[in-house]
Amino acid sequence: MVRVVNRLLHMLFVLWAVATIMFFMFRLMTGNPLAAYIDTNFTLEQQEALLVQFGLDKPLWQQYFIYIGNLLQGELGQSFFYRKPVGEVLMNAFPNTIVLTMGALVVAYLFGIPVGAYLAWKRGTWIEGVGIPTVLATRAAPEFWLGMILLAVFAFNLGWFPSGGANTAGAEFNSEFARFTSVDFLWHLVLPALSLALYLQGLPLLLMRSNMLEVMQEEFVTMARMKGLSEWAIIMRHAARNALLPVVTTFALSIGLSVGGNVVVETVFSWPGLGRLLVGAVASSDFPLAQGAFLLITLVLVSMNFIADLLYHVLDPRVSHGSNN
Amino acid sequence: MIRKKALLTALALSGSAFAFAALPAATPALAAGDAIRDLTLIARDQGANPQAFQAAQLIAQAWGKLGLNVSVRGLPRLQQSELVWYNRDKWDMTMWQMVGRPERSDPDELVYNLFHSSTAESGYNFIGYKSEEFNKLAEAQRVETDKEKRRELLRQAQAVLDRDQPNMFLVYPKRSFAFDNAVFAEDSVVEQPGLGIKNIWSYLGAQPLGDQKDMILNSTDPLNAINPLYISGATDSWVTELIWDRLLRISPEGLAEPWAAESFEWIDQTTIDVVLREGMMWHDGNPVTVEDVVFSFEVPNVGDEVPMYQPFVKNIESVEATGDRTVRFKLKGPSASFLTSSLAKVNLTPKHVWEAVIDDLANRPENAESHQEDLPIGSGPFKFVRWKQQEEVVLEKNADHFSPPNIDRWIIRIVSNTEATVSMLRSGEINFLSDYNGDPEVLADVADKDGDIAIVSSTDIGFQYATVNHRRPPFDDVAMRRALSLAIDRNLMVAAAWNGSAEIANSPVSTALSYWHSDDTDAISGSLEEAQQILKDAGYEVIDGRLHYPDGIKETLEGP
Repeated sequence: MVRVVNRLLHMLFVLWAVATIMFFMFRLMTGNPLAAYIDTNFTLEQQEALLVQFGLDKPLWQQYFIYIGNLLQGELGQSFFYRKPVGEVLMNAFPNTIVLTMGALVVAYLFGIPVGAYLAWKRGTWIEGVGIPTVLATRAAPEFWLGMILLAVFAFNLGWFPSGGANTAGAEFNSEFARFTSVDFLWHLVLPALSLALYLQGLPLLLMRSNMLEVMQEEFVTMARMKGLSEWAIIMRHAARNALLPVVTTFALSIGLSVGGNVVVETVFSWPGLGRLLVGAVASSDFPLAQGAFLLITLVLVSMNFIADLLYHVLDPRVSHGSNN
Repeated sequence: MIRKKALLTALALSGSAFAFAALPAATPALAAGDAIRDLTLIARDQGANPQAFQAAQLIAQAWGKLGLNVSVRGLPRLQQSELVWYNRDKWDMTMWQMVGRPERSDPDELVYNLFHSSTAESGYNFIGYKSEEFNKLAEAQRVETDKEKRRELLRQAQAVLDRDQPNMFLVYPKRSFAFDNAVFAEDSVVEQPGLGIKNIWSYLGAQPLGDQKDMILNSTDPLNAINPLYISGATDSWVTELIWDRLLRISPEGLAEPWAAESFEWIDQTTIDVVLREGMMWHDGNPVTVEDVVFSFEVPNVGDEVPMYQPFVKNIESVEATGDRTVRFKLKGPSASFLTSSLAKVNLTPKHVWEAVIDDLANRPENAESHQEDLPIGSGPFKFVRWKQQEEVVLEKNADHFSPPNIDRWIIRIVSNTEATVSMLRSGEINFLSDYNGDPEVLADVADKDGDIAIVSSTDIGFQYATVNHRRPPFDDVAMRRALSLAIDRNLMVAAAWNGSAEIANSPVSTALSYWHSDDTDAISGSLEEAQQILKDAGYEVIDGRLHYPDGIKETLEGP
């Protein structure tokens, strides 16, 4: 229990540190947020009024305390670009990103785990000789390139899937849940999720493979062989189960890592997610929105870390014994 | 000021000529000033505007032949704006662009704001061009209500700009648009000079041929806001002009013509009577009244709540209802662009919705720009249905409007990937390509293969240009600017950088605005020899391939 509280305090500290660094980083960066509003009729009075509106007329330290004060009340401020509360803007994009990330991760892990196990079993054969380089090449290929290839083949040439967006133009739904479970949405999800999954599959696959190789040296596997069990039974029931543990915890970590890393895929597929929002916010010096987006990503990341940590203790008692000493 | 300098230069020149005559043995190098510093030409990064970046490189090469050492530096848009706008004495050369908008069909905005001295300090004359002669012409055309006379003034203003070359105009790009002509009858889509087919007349006129009665367009950038009192992003204005009516609208011919106003009449040079159309309704069912009209034109002057519209009502002395359907505007002074930039610009805003909002805002730091209605209420030919940020805006037909559209819904999709838009046009995910920055040839190829895609390409009201900082020598010298401009081979630029889809430019008034554009400015063309001669005549000298100031002039600034 003390450990959990300790971890939570750590999390708060990390969030505060990220919020502070973000705050100063954006304000010390060269770049004037007013530059985004330049217009032929832009007068000096308008420029000054805008600074007051954005709260940038106050000294830096004062801006900082206002910001932290608001954060403590759960207020992320108002986006310069959208002139709307940052929380509201983020919440429009966040579910789309979560669905895309989770979809891609599930596919990546469902594919990576068995294939990783299989490749370990086939160590030293030609299958490994072809498999590993293929996996490495797919993982190393730039995401935007993969995305563009998928677009060119499956959208432009074959016309099987749409070229972008999360729904058909003008599609109407009774609720967000109905939208996420609609055929239309899933049909739009396929290509972006596949691009992301192609990138994400490398980690579970390679991790599973190396764990398997280790586990296969263990005595209980030799024992299983001696009992004359079938290969399939040995892989799935004995070796894989033991090798799976670290892979499961990386799943949680991956959620955190990829939520912020979908920028490229979201842009290529015009996906209405957090990554595109973040790029737009940074490009237009929309400090509050960029800070909010980074903070949200950090929050997901540290929470997932926390969950992975807890999960590890639950799944593998050896770890918690170690840390209690 | 510039004249004085030229005179001084001439004196210095004749002085050095005397020196030559007296001392034939003196080395010519002594007659030159310092070498001109290394220069940086700022451009948008290659990815963001490949054409302009390529043009910048051609320009740097051409200026190199004059003996200047110019390097091109690509910057993201905001960093470029930041440097050029907010550090007005810290840069030498930059590429820039103006984009076409309906209200720029009147030349006033671009002619006045870009070059009038009053905007040099903190407005759009960021280059610091100052000419009394030009100021007088720019002011005179603004108040001249006789169209013929105004055209003459604008011609003179363009001639001054041609002579002084404050900017080196390059091209009026042609923009490509496309639509599915199996969905919409080809002759029902309207082209408006300078804007292409992306205009309200197309949206109203487009005749669906089959079951698809939705027009689906695309925009690369997301919207900021849908607000009748806030001029925000370009895409926002495509939407606002459909939801909210204006008293007048810019016709396909580029003229301000009656719209929500049934008619208007100039009583004298500063008084105009407007008759409101009968039977108009707001989208919430309330009637549009003259009080709403008065409110719409008064609200920009209420405190500082509607700052973006203040310039467009600044010249209004008073506006009052003179009957159930009549409104009288009294102006502070005559204004030629009043019809275009006020009556055809200000959105008719419902008083019953906005009055309370404005009152409430008076006590808060925010202004009307921060107020986003959940369900925006206008009186326009399209009603708001929904806005999904980063995804789409959906509008539907307002069947009760006096000029209802033929389509059922108008949907604009936010598509961040330019390449994907062509694919979408082919698959029917969009059927009206309204924002395309890609290669025109790719589009043409796809249209060829598809067979149902009509491409319309139009010369833009906007333009691309290179410019220099007049605050920093040698760019305060007309001779230098003329030489720089003449050294640019614009025909080469059109062919090499814009793939042939642009017209050469030498005026802030595009050829698309044929009535106002001065043909006299078209003569500019690239001749390196002429440019070199101008520099020579002005006393500049090339020594070891490097251009030097005229005799006696020191370099006071540092290069990059």
